[in-house]
Amino acid sequence: MQEQALTAAFAALADPTRRAILSRLALGEANVTELVRPFKLSQPAVSRHLKVLEEAGLITRGRVAQSRPCRLAPEPLKQMADWLEGYRELWDKSFERLDEYLDELQQQEKLDAPHTAKRR
Amino acid sequence: MHLTQRSAADTSSESELSMTRTFKAPRSLVFKAWTEPAHLARWSGPQGFTTPHHEMDLRVGGTYRACLRAPDGVDHWVKGVYREIRAPERLVMTHCWTDAAGNPTGPETLITVTLTDRDGGTLMNFHQALFESSASRDGHSQGWSQSFDRLVDYLAEGVAP
Repeated sequence: MQEQALTAAFAALADPTRRAILSRLALGEANVTELVRPFKLSQPAVSRHLKVLEEAGLITRGRVAQSRPCRLAPEPLKQMADWLEGYRELWDKSFERLDEYLDELQQQEKLDAPHTAKRR
Repeated sequence: MHLTQRSAADTSSESELSMTRTFKAPRSLVFKAWTEPAHLARWSGPQGFTTPHHEMDLRVGGTYRACLRAPDGVDHWVKGVYREIRAPERLVMTHCWTDAAGNPTGPETLITVTLTDRDGGTLMNFHQALFESSASRDGHSQGWSQSFDRLVDYLAEGVAP
């Protein structure tokens, strides 16, 4: 996934209504009329949200002129999860080193200043 | 490793990471390790990573920028802005991968580190979320994580179109 696409996908998901729309689409495809109903929004407002989701690659839309059913495109979501998982690994390994380093620092402190070693 | 307690509460989703660790060290020292370049360089990144460049302007609104060099010689640049600095208990900053020239190469995230005294040591809560998602602190965040959890379950089932 291109960095730009990833950023667009994350930005699209920053909005609670769009997240709710995606959750609805996880249950199966739906057209604009069906999506308007549970959200208490106007059709143009829902259409604008759909446009953002489509541009971010999170949904695809059918070509049937009147209904244009919306479908979830799951791949970007998985890539977003992978991206964040990479961070988790990075931090996990860093925190292991931090743990060892703090230990080392405190040993050093004891050697350097035996009188204050107990100080907290 | 032997000193670190890994919490079962470590979670991740599409939107955020939450990790907790306990260190056998006073929180003033843990806070220092987060806020002084010489200390950060000693633990930033996995084993074998070095930090050939590290600059930080530790004040609210101040920036930091660092280069993490992987054992294979590949440089990973990162930059961010300090949003909140409350020694020795809380540190909030943005975090973004960049190229060597400082142009972002990924979404900006917000890191919150909270330190609490715990049994003579320090409990660290680490949270990283999309910076944009702080816009959803308007009370929607709860609903969002719930509805999105269902979506993630759904995708995990492999029934996606």
